[in-house]
Amino acid sequence: MIQCRWCQAQNQPGTTSCQTCGAPLDEKDKVSDSGWREAPRLRDMTEFQFSGSTCQVEGELVPVAEVALHPRDGVYFEHHVLLWKDESVPLSSLNTGGGMKRTIGGMPHIVTVANGPGRIAFSRDAPGELVVLPLHPGMELDVREHAFLVASHSVQYSFIRIKGLVNLLHGGNGMYVDRFVTAGAPGMLLLHGNGNVLQRTLQPNEKILVEPGGFLYKDSSVRMEAAQMPLKTGHLRHGMYLAEMTGPGRVGIQSMYVHHHAD
Amino acid sequence: MNTYICRYCRQPSDPNSPTCPLCGAPVDIRSSVSDSGWVEQPAIKDMARLQFGQSHLQIAGTTVPVAEFNLAPNDWIYFSHHVLLWTDPATRLTNLPMRGGWNRKMAGMPLIMVEGRGPGHLALSDNHAGEVIALPLQHGQQIWVREHRFLCATGNIRYDWYPSDLWYQTGDDKDRETHYPMGQFGDVFGSHEGPGLLLLHAPGNAFVRDLQPGQSLLVQPSALLYRDVSVRMSLHLEYPRNMGFAFWHGRWSYRSVWARLFGPGRVAVQSIYQPPEDTDQIVNSSYATTHYW
Repeated sequence: MIQCRWCQAQNQPGTTSCQTCGAPLDEKDKVSDSGWREAPRLRDMTEFQFSGSTCQVEGELVPVAEVALHPRDGVYFEHHVLLWKDESVPLSSLNTGGGMKRTIGGMPHIVTVANGPGRIAFSRDAPGELVVLPLHPGMELDVREHAFLVASHSVQYSFIRIKGLVNLLHGGNGMYVDRFVTAGAPGMLLLHGNGNVLQRTLQPNEKILVEPGGFLYKDSSVRMEAAQMPLKTGHLRHGMYLAEMTGPGRVGIQSMYVHHHAD
Repeated sequence: MNTYICRYCRQPSDPNSPTCPLCGAPVDIRSSVSDSGWVEQPAIKDMARLQFGQSHLQIAGTTVPVAEFNLAPNDWIYFSHHVLLWTDPATRLTNLPMRGGWNRKMAGMPLIMVEGRGPGHLALSDNHAGEVIALPLQHGQQIWVREHRFLCATGNIRYDWYPSDLWYQTGDDKDRETHYPMGQFGDVFGSHEGPGLLLLHAPGNAFVRDLQPGQSLLVQPSALLYRDVSVRMSLHLEYPRNMGFAFWHGRWSYRSVWARLFGPGRVAVQSIYQPPEDTDQIVNSSYATTHYW
């Protein structure tokens, strides 16, 4: 058997891409000297499975995720990432709670649910990469707002409010971070990262400072705090803040972002 | 003795390395040249390493590449804080003030650069799909770069900036507006105290061409990425023949505003650019040639 180095799933000998996440199995990992690993670039038309459904990735500049839903499966997503669907695929809405507060924060408080059988496709609106994150039971992943593309119905979607005035004012990650949790069953989460996506695994108490606009996702075990740098920026010479990530756990970043203090 | 000259950075290089250690260009590929003589700048290979001083940098990614620096204790680089993606807590970051604060502010240019000093790691990236262009500069060598294309430079590269030679004015005496199709300022980088490294970010793809003495070329002003300081520039205005369908518009609605480049020297363009917006009739400009079809 071949173990996928991205999602750790086992694959039959001779397969060239992981059946669980689509990562190429016949290519070397691309890891920089300081330990950032590039998220696997999925080959055009790669397919992978989740539950009884299949996802195919099309295109490389702004990839499309085309899902063939099994009759008993469903996925949910923000409605503006829907590219096309079979007419027969039913859509419904799911209230995530948080109502007005989420709306004020620029976050959807209703996500759209599509149920099988049928085909449906999703894409975001910027050059970048699809990041496929199969979630084992009992996992918790925090994702920056508006980076989530689609998730399988077995993944619970909630959000956490960013705490602390300094984090809120200077953290650059808005008021909320999406949280995806799996309980007893595994699930599938697809993100869209702008530009290139890199991931690093932090050891306990290991720290890294990340531009908040570049933050894409993290394990919930990674602590994120706004840290002030000994610098002044811009005409008003305001302080510069970065997101201090403290391990243990994975941190994912995207290389194209709008600086949170762009002036 | 090593006599190999990298065809992209024009510096003595190592033919046995898969990529040029100074600019990251692949050594083992055939040059891609258009019929008109533009040489496509090859993308720096994913995970390629570039050497400068006692330090090196590594390029990660191909859509919006990240330049990841491993800085030796006495080496330093400077950059705008907007492009900082991540840093080790150990890397020392300090302010590097720029002269001409008010003018820079008015032109939308960064007022303060950040100095990153080793030992430590840090990484930079721009926010456009495109390419990182590495320009090693020999001692005394200078290069002109369009504003906002600068990603970072090593500490021994001097950064100056000058008002743009290309501008035009529209409107009447009471409401006159000045337009800068190539930006209000241009950056000039020069290496002193030995060789240095300059990194640019080009949205889209980048193409390089050598102009012979006296040879001229018209390019979209906002597409110009860099040029040798020996290349001169002026404005060129071109008006199409009125086809009769635009009687309610002035002819200027369909004009083209060009940058005319005069050799000798190297020029580079990027494939993503913003054409000058349609505006009123031009009433005054920097030196310009005009052609009515």
